[in-house]
Amino acid sequence: MADKPYGWTGKILRVNLTTGSISTMDTAAYKFLIGGMGIGYKIMFDEVPQGTNAFDEANKLVFAVGPLTGSGVPCSSRTNITSLLPTNPYNAVSDSHMGGNFAAMMKYAGYDAIIIEGKSPKPVWLRIEDDKVTIADARHVWGKGISESTAILAADIGKEASIAAIGQAGENMVNLSVIMNGASHSAGGHGGVLGSKKLKAVAVKGTGSVRIACKGTDFVELNRYMKTDIIGANTQHVVPSTPQPWAEYHSPTSRWTARAGLSWGAAKPAVETGICAVGEVNKVGYRTMKSVLDLGPLAEKYTVRMGGCQSCPIRCHSQLNIPKLATYGVSPFVANTCMGFHSPSIVMCKGVRDQFEAGDANMITRALGAKLADDYGVWCNYGMLGKDFKYAYEHGILQNRLPREEYDSIPWDLLENGNPAFLKDFYRRIAFKEGEFSNLGLGTYWIAQRWNYGQDFWNDAAYGLWSPMGYPKHHASESGGQVGALISCMFNRDAQSHTHMNLIGSGLPIEILKEVAGELFGSPDALDAPMDYKPMNPYKARFAKWSLARNCIHDALTLCNWMWPMAVSPSSGRSYRGDTALESKFMSMVTGKEISEAELDLAGERILTLHRALTVKNMNTTDMRGKHDVMMDWVFDVDPEVKAFTRGTIKMDRDDMQLALTMFYKEMGWDEQLGAPTRATLERLGLSSVADELERLNLLVS
Amino acid sequence: MEEKKNFFDKDRTRRDFLILTGKGLGGAVVSLSILNLFGCATKYVAVFPLAEKLLVADASRCTGCQRCEITCTALNEGKIQPFISRINVSKNYNFGKEGPKINFTHADGQYGNRKMTLTTCKQCREPFCKNVCPVDAIFADKNHGNARAVNKDICIGCGACVQACPWHVPNVDPETEKSSKCITCGACAAACPTGALSVIPWEDVKIAMNKREQLLFC
Repeated sequence: MADKPYGWTGKILRVNLTTGSISTMDTAAYKFLIGGMGIGYKIMFDEVPQGTNAFDEANKLVFAVGPLTGSGVPCSSRTNITSLLPTNPYNAVSDSHMGGNFAAMMKYAGYDAIIIEGKSPKPVWLRIEDDKVTIADARHVWGKGISESTAILAADIGKEASIAAIGQAGENMVNLSVIMNGASHSAGGHGGVLGSKKLKAVAVKGTGSVRIACKGTDFVELNRYMKTDIIGANTQHVVPSTPQPWAEYHSPTSRWTARAGLSWGAAKPAVETGICAVGEVNKVGYRTMKSVLDLGPLAEKYTVRMGGCQSCPIRCHSQLNIPKLATYGVSPFVANTCMGFHSPSIVMCKGVRDQFEAGDANMITRALGAKLADDYGVWCNYGMLGKDFKYAYEHGILQNRLPREEYDSIPWDLLENGNPAFLKDFYRRIAFKEGEFSNLGLGTYWIAQRWNYGQDFWNDAAYGLWSPMGYPKHHASESGGQVGALISCMFNRDAQSHTHMNLIGSGLPIEILKEVAGELFGSPDALDAPMDYKPMNPYKARFAKWSLARNCIHDALTLCNWMWPMAVSPSSGRSYRGDTALESKFMSMVTGKEISEAELDLAGERILTLHRALTVKNMNTTDMRGKHDVMMDWVFDVDPEVKAFTRGTIKMDRDDMQLALTMFYKEMGWDEQLGAPTRATLERLGLSSVADELERLNLLVS
Repeated sequence: MEEKKNFFDKDRTRRDFLILTGKGLGGAVVSLSILNLFGCATKYVAVFPLAEKLLVADASRCTGCQRCEITCTALNEGKIQPFISRINVSKNYNFGKEGPKINFTHADGQYGNRKMTLTTCKQCREPFCKNVCPVDAIFADKNHGNARAVNKDICIGCGACVQACPWHVPNVDPETEKSSKCITCGACAAACPTGALSVIPWEDVKIAMNKREQLLFC
């Protein structure tokens, strides 16, 4: 105990499923990359050979957390999973993330990261009880859904364990599959990698602690300050959605939905969310009443409570009891949030109809779909699964490509009639790889190749594809113009960066937001009003860089980027200013080593540059501008009757966007033409060994 | 020593318990209070002041965030580990108190009916935890309104208090091998983001349970 560091546990667990070898190594060598995503990228860069595919034995998968995970800092139980991504055309590296309790439990068991390598000859699960680690037989749960598998394994290791598992989709190496813990916390994209390694689950029971260097009273006081003065609702929305006596502003799109008369209607007894004014620390958890946002007003009476991740006072996962779900052969208890609920509605591309009572169409569809997808462990590629299907269905592709017998076996009448029972068939076929239809589970890029989708698919704004690599927009050009667009270009899947949205979407008037942007990035011109975008400027490049660096640092610390950073606050007494130094304050307190906001941002820049270097290696090209940072035509051609930078459109301009990339590359110190990292920048960031390896591969720009 | 670490194992038999307690006593005779616990004695002789306060939980408001447990261990242990908190939420988070059974999809817990099952210290009139302690480490703490507290200087971490408590509220920290239990400081209640916890004037557990089953025995 005396040797155990503050914050980090100091140990990384390595499990080789080919040899059965289990070992640990010191975290120290990775601390300059903080943790989580940083550890994941470094291991992938150093240890996975160029040209490896996602389901190859040589691929590795890294569960990693960081110094703040499990430390009690609010919103700190995020698991970062790094591996090659099968949906990506190059199988380039990506991260998937999950909340729940798993991340914190990894720390209590004594691990900053768990590296999974090799491939087991038979189904196994990884059993971790503190320093006792075994590879156990999983044949009894192979073929079962995530929920039942988890219960069976918990009966073995103990009910307290946190278990991350794959469903049938992952087992069958469906590209679109998840790893899930805590019944609704899923990491999308890497389920099939575990499946390829025959690893059904990782179960962790940790009885150790995370040490904090500061006094407990000081730590609790900083937590209190955050909850009274800084934190808002989900995605840092800082104004309520309805007019309220305490609030100067309100915004109908805010996720701060709590109000008088709105209840967790299925709680026993019912619990009224009520008005949750800023400063009321014992009501913070009521602010985000998400079920009515995701499922409609009818969901109020079926809401048992809100829920979410360990340590987070913002409860964004709705927990419902909808008895009619039993009609479909699933449990009536369901939980999820955001796209987990919305995605099944997209699959129901002919619309949905009420099933049991007036106004229940969306609620039943989304709850049933979430239940099915989460148990099979099917990922939706941020909603693209439904859109890929819609295109194929509406363009007669399915009719052409599927054998007649298979086509006729699909209950199209249910789809046409808006009956969500269609989803049972839909998700089962994908999870079990049944027939030609199930190739939808390959993901957008691969299915569009296989079934020869037209350019109208790629270039129609309605489908929302961002990249020719087959991932969609996720707070892209519609969110801050070039800022969101740059962010959406940098990863190998949809951007999971919410940094910019936590500012842009906070609900405060644009005048205040522009002031805040000016303070952070040097000019209020860093932020344009929504749908009123202006040409590129260097402040937007800084905004994009800050957003991405924070995103990386949050996935390294680990903190939830759907809450952090907190550039704004709900407090009028603070003129709505948040506290962007809060991460570094917590980091300093927990680790006992003073670290400034700027130092932490530099670490984020380091991680982002390492990701870039790894992408260059994976894609075997330095031409990031030409091969990677590419946007679909609709971004520039939408609203053909108006010009870019006209009020009311999100249309971008091609030349301006190339300038935006140049400015961003410059901010990052990357080659301004190619967008690849230079030796000078890699060395400045302490990544000279990465530069050496790129040079060896002839992928280092001078 | 292995038994100390297994603080999740609640299914010990009475015989196991006697053996454990006997070890703790170092071979001394079983005390009157232990016999009392087993229903073998009818009269308790010690005078033990009543606690002034009581921590109660409203399970319908609990969302399982564990901020209570985090705050508790940050303040009382200077480190974070929910399982050694003086209020217990995370142990029962996934599958309730009973663990996964065939009906888990409808039973308590996150994988079932979503109900959180918290356990809080009842500050018993005649605390079994105190009575069973072989080294008399549990006392009425005057600085905390006579809450039943563990003197860590004396505690040997045998876990007898955990077993004796009908709700298994105390926890032995595997890292320090010391027991701990609720001292009604109220820090957990202050930190709860949904106001599910409160500290109220003490009332006997039997009365409290009858009066407010939902609050106490959840």
